[in-house]
Amino acid sequence: MFPNCSLGHCHIIIAVVLWSICVDSRKIRGISLSYKRFYRERKSFLCIDGSKMIPFDQVNDDYCDCVDGSDEPGTAACPNGRFYCTNLGYRSHYIPSSRVNDGICDCCDASDEYRSQTPCQNTCRNLGQRERAEVEGQMRVLGEGLRLKQQLIEEGVLTWREKQAQLRDLQRVSDDLQTQLDDLRKEEARRKEEADALREREIGARETADNSPTSHYRPESPISVFKELDSNRDGSITVDEVQAKLSPVQDEEHALSEDEAVALLGGVHRVDLSRFEETLWTSLRTGDNVTIKGRHGVPGSLADEDPNIKAAVSAAEKAAADLKRVEDAYETVYMEIRDLREKLSIDYGSEREFLFLHNQCFQLKVHEYIYELCPFSQVTQKSASGEVVSLGKWGSWAGSPENQYCQMRYESGEPCWQGPTRNTMVMLICGTETALRSVKEPSKCQYVMELQTPVSCQPALRQRGIHSEL
Amino acid sequence: MASFIERMCLYLVLVLSVFLSITQAVDRSNFKTCDQSAFCSRQRAMKPGQSSYTALLETLELSDSHLTVQLLNNNNKVLLLLELYRLQGNMTRVKINELKPIKPRYEVPDVLITDPPTELMSVVAQDEHRVVLSLGGEDWRLILSAQPFRLDIMEGPQVLLSLNSRGLLAFEQLRIRKDTISHKISSTVGSMWDKIKSVFSSKSQTDTEEAGEKEDTEKHDKEKVSEREEEEAEEEVDQPGMWEETFKTHADTKPNGPSSISLDFSLPGVEHVYGIPEHADGLRLKNTDGGDPYRLYNLDVFQYELFNPMALYGAVPVLLSHNTHRTMGLFWLNAAETWVDVSSGQGSSEVPQTDVRWISESGIIDVFIMLGPRPNDVFTQYASLTGTQAFPPLSSLAYHQCRWNYNDQEDVSAVDQGFDEHDIPYDFIWLDIEHTDGKRYFTWDNNKFPQPKDMLQGLLDKRRKMVTIVDPHIKVDSSYKIHTEIRSRGYYIKNKDGGDYEGWCWPGNAGYPDFTNPEMRKWWASMFAYDQYEGSMENLYTWNDMNEPSVFNGPEVTMHKDALHGPWEHRDIHNLYGFYVQMATAEGQIQRSGGLERPFVLTRAFFAGSQRYGAVWTGDNAAEWGHLKMSIPMCLSLGLVGISFCGADVGGFFKTPSAELLVRWYQAGAYQPFFRAHAHLDTPRREPWLFGPDNTALIREAVRQRYTLLPYWYLQFYHAQRTGQPVMRPLWVEYPEDIATFSIDDEFLIGRDLLVHPVTDERSSGVTAYLPGNGEVWYDVHTFQRHDGAQNLSIPVTMSSIPVFQRGGSIICRKNRVRRSSSCMENDPYTLYVALDSQGNAEGELYIDDGHTFKHKTDKQFIHRRLSFTANSLSSSDLSPDSQFPTASWVEQVNILGAQKPDAVTLTTDGGESSVEFEFDPDTAVLTLRKPGVNAGVNWTLHLR
Repeated sequence: MFPNCSLGHCHIIIAVVLWSICVDSRKIRGISLSYKRFYRERKSFLCIDGSKMIPFDQVNDDYCDCVDGSDEPGTAACPNGRFYCTNLGYRSHYIPSSRVNDGICDCCDASDEYRSQTPCQNTCRNLGQRERAEVEGQMRVLGEGLRLKQQLIEEGVLTWREKQAQLRDLQRVSDDLQTQLDDLRKEEARRKEEADALREREIGARETADNSPTSHYRPESPISVFKELDSNRDGSITVDEVQAKLSPVQDEEHALSEDEAVALLGGVHRVDLSRFEETLWTSLRTGDNVTIKGRHGVPGSLADEDPNIKAAVSAAEKAAADLKRVEDAYETVYMEIRDLREKLSIDYGSEREFLFLHNQCFQLKVHEYIYELCPFSQVTQKSASGEVVSLGKWGSWAGSPENQYCQMRYESGEPCWQGPTRNTMVMLICGTETALRSVKEPSKCQYVMELQTPVSCQPALRQRGIHSEL
Repeated sequence: MASFIERMCLYLVLVLSVFLSITQAVDRSNFKTCDQSAFCSRQRAMKPGQSSYTALLETLELSDSHLTVQLLNNNNKVLLLLELYRLQGNMTRVKINELKPIKPRYEVPDVLITDPPTELMSVVAQDEHRVVLSLGGEDWRLILSAQPFRLDIMEGPQVLLSLNSRGLLAFEQLRIRKDTISHKISSTVGSMWDKIKSVFSSKSQTDTEEAGEKEDTEKHDKEKVSEREEEEAEEEVDQPGMWEETFKTHADTKPNGPSSISLDFSLPGVEHVYGIPEHADGLRLKNTDGGDPYRLYNLDVFQYELFNPMALYGAVPVLLSHNTHRTMGLFWLNAAETWVDVSSGQGSSEVPQTDVRWISESGIIDVFIMLGPRPNDVFTQYASLTGTQAFPPLSSLAYHQCRWNYNDQEDVSAVDQGFDEHDIPYDFIWLDIEHTDGKRYFTWDNNKFPQPKDMLQGLLDKRRKMVTIVDPHIKVDSSYKIHTEIRSRGYYIKNKDGGDYEGWCWPGNAGYPDFTNPEMRKWWASMFAYDQYEGSMENLYTWNDMNEPSVFNGPEVTMHKDALHGPWEHRDIHNLYGFYVQMATAEGQIQRSGGLERPFVLTRAFFAGSQRYGAVWTGDNAAEWGHLKMSIPMCLSLGLVGISFCGADVGGFFKTPSAELLVRWYQAGAYQPFFRAHAHLDTPRREPWLFGPDNTALIREAVRQRYTLLPYWYLQFYHAQRTGQPVMRPLWVEYPEDIATFSIDDEFLIGRDLLVHPVTDERSSGVTAYLPGNGEVWYDVHTFQRHDGAQNLSIPVTMSSIPVFQRGGSIICRKNRVRRSSSCMENDPYTLYVALDSQGNAEGELYIDDGHTFKHKTDKQFIHRRLSFTANSLSSSDLSPDSQFPTASWVEQVNILGAQKPDAVTLTTDGGESSVEFEFDPDTAVLTLRKPGVNAGVNWTLHLR
């Protein structure tokens, strides 16, 4: 950007300026003040690398004598030479010797085109003014940007704390739920055992009773009911059989329609035992709709008969429901924790200054496409027709080791035709607001975006300034 | 952006599954083999033997300019007319046409630059069996034998070349279709029948035979028709594919029926033949026995294969033969699909012999026999027929930066800036098809290039230039001016039914202007005027791609042969289309400057004579080492047939090169005539600075070497324009008696004086270069180390090595101040490299003009000087005293290689004498003269004492 004007450097310049006033020296074209000492007019000139001694009048005589190019600072003679644009009023800098008298104005003071037909204007003053204005603008932006950045960092700290607290809360909830779960699992198992035991005992009793001719009861398992309904003993129950054996609870005289029968069989015309258990058996057990002709009550229900069993079964069911509820709650909390942890594991910068970008998305329309960047999540491209293409999912920070937070990489987007997957590099630049500034596709399916944001403003920039030799 | 392109591509794949297959190499099934081409298989089925043709010597007529004689086909009694011309410059022209064709047969116009001037022929001897003609000189004879017909060209007792010695002259006369009568009788049934046939036409003719009652009627009619013919000749039976042919799903209706021609040539004593580009094959032509012949049919071949006789984008039907005694050339002037069989073996009496057979689908036999005898004689002879390489603007010999695509103005400016930042020179930046508004050529995409003139002005300020692509397929779109104009003027090629021919290409549905029509070309040229081509400026030049022409949904990705160019079928003119496109475009560029500025037009398709209109590149190659190697023989072959301005896409078009391959390609490309990097849309960016500082430095160095040698390249093109000598030459051209050079195609010469052996192998640690010339010496241009000629030199290489040698005995002028672009170097001084031969002599030339106008020609504004080192004096003398050009360039330095240390050096000019400082390096034997400072356009002498 701008050459550093460190304090030490300025000292040297001042020293050289003073010295050059004292030492009378011919004007040597193309050198900076700091190099003037190498070009003190004497009889001979020593190439700066010390490789050769030449007569002084061969300096800038448009013939390259020194391998380091130092004898021709003001001409294009040396392939590796450089020419110093003094550019009073603007920044001075070096250009390659090959740009001296090449018909193109390179130095704003026009000093590089002293022997070409191209008329070059001295534009340094304008450039200097413009640049100073620009730099001032940049400084303002930077100042404002840094202020906003500080805010965002502070907000980020709060958000981070909030998130941490949220995580802790969730963790606590999760732990509570875990404890509850342990208890409920035990409770559920115990209740179930109890109910099962009661039922077994009752069944055993009924089986004994069943063998006596006076019994009112028949133990009714799904199998026995299935067998009862399966009149032709072909191992399946058909619509005909249902219509023959069953009737609506309300009206035993009324026959079931075919549609009703099919509905009872779960939408088919024929069921085997296992399908029977899932369909008709369930209906019979609830006893709300249909019943076996000439029979009252619900088949297989022991609870109806014995209040103890009924209570045990209902307790077991309640325990199971309680367990399920807490399990669900635990699952939800677990997911939340996982999501939050994932979010918190992302590197949001040394001061978590990028945290605020989370859950935000930024859009930019470029011709017929709308691009959307959701930092730490994904990049997409939406066409005029509404088709959305993924240009990459959050990958990693990709800046240089010195400033890794100046670039983001989004990768593994939708694959390209005959090519690799799409990916996007997001360059972060300093600005007072956070917005997507540009999108380009330099190579096919390789996108480059510029995201402007205050958090990318670097205080280091502030120390740099305009360096001009006024 | 990508997704749009992608959708387009997918769409294309769906619509044109033929073209964009996802295969990694060429889909061979898209292109015909000889067996799949009806006329080729018909002709090739004919075996060598007794010719059925007799020359009727009683019909012989000899005029001042030529001889005519009738040839009788003994089988069908059809008469042909043979015309024989003795042309100035040791050439013979043989034309054979039907004596009375039922309609004219196509004769290729516009390729010959003039009606070749003839010389007197005289009959030396004649009897009833033969006529002996004198071709001038004492012992040049042409013997015309009557029965069977045969021509022999003799030098003394030696046969140089024979025609029809293997009896393969075959001339399918135009004829009336035999089922025409029946067709009239029952047109309804007939058209039904045609439909059935076209449905089943991909099957064999057995289907036809099973066709039932209709067939019987036809046979009956056929018999009636042929009764009359039988009185004179044997009945000629129609063979399959004579009247229609189907390839894949494409039907070729052949309303004119069979019309193919064939002729054989025997070259006794010849083992090496070259030429007939364009093929991705070695320099020396291979035997085609048992395989397919070399095919000449301009085609857009997707991902072409190496070492293959398949047709590619261009065709130059010129074959060169060479042995230690003689170089000759055959120019088969025919623009239809052509196949060439090459067969080498032992002729009679154990002399090696090469037989060549040409087969073309239509037109006439019109062949030029160029008798040499030296290679440069053949080049001169061929140049006298089709012209020489257009003298390009100097800047077009510099480096070109291309990519499909530079996306927008900002991108162009960033790339331009990148070159300056990395101090790499370039002269041209290119825009491929995406710069247009929806592939409408002559337009700009308004979003991406809203201010083309600003962009061009920005380049102009840097003294750089731009090329935009202008392809010959025109989007069918009633709101597109170019289309509506062409349509309303009736300039489109017509389909067989008389409507405008339409095919698929980049813009979707497209029409193809009929560039064979001079009116159309004139109109096309006018479209390049600054007020017609909006956004164009004087530093905008043109690239003609897809001009085979490429038709995505056409047979073999090109145009249907039954499409019509006025009275002629596309079949007749196919290989000429690209030639005309470039001709019209170059003309447009000349006209827009009022005839002042030289044009620069790059073309992919070409024909004999295309050298007159600009540059050619080897099409869509791939980023593979094999393709890098192949760039050498491909450009050498083109140079041999007049097209000197040749190059291959540096880096390879398809796929992605490794950094090493890219660097090596830059190094090789820097020493090939047309030096342009190019890349496919789907490949990652590869501007020279994207591969790390080391590779950037290597590429910078290669490009800089090119720029220092631009004066030498320019001189070579000046010579090429004047003499037709190739710029990039096989070694045998300069060392025609050295058999060791005959098959070399991994190294080459630029002009006479630079020998280049690029490194074309991955991880190479060395190359072996053959340095030719017994008694000659060669100097490594980088180290100035001296090597003897006639040896295989092992050269260890590193990544920075580009093995290049300067011939002892030569003087090469360079400009060592490499700048941003060649234009910036215009006034820079020269450094002379005087490479002494073993006798201590050297010679060279220097050519200077303004670099871009025709004033060198129209106003004789140029400097052409001879530089000569002999007897310890180096002098510059005027080779063209009647021309003048003011130059600011001067002589900066002189390096004498292989020198001895002098005591003093003095410079003599008109202004007097002065002493010159010098340095001598005894290790390299290089004497460097410091700053003679004399203007490059004046006489001077440097004396070493």
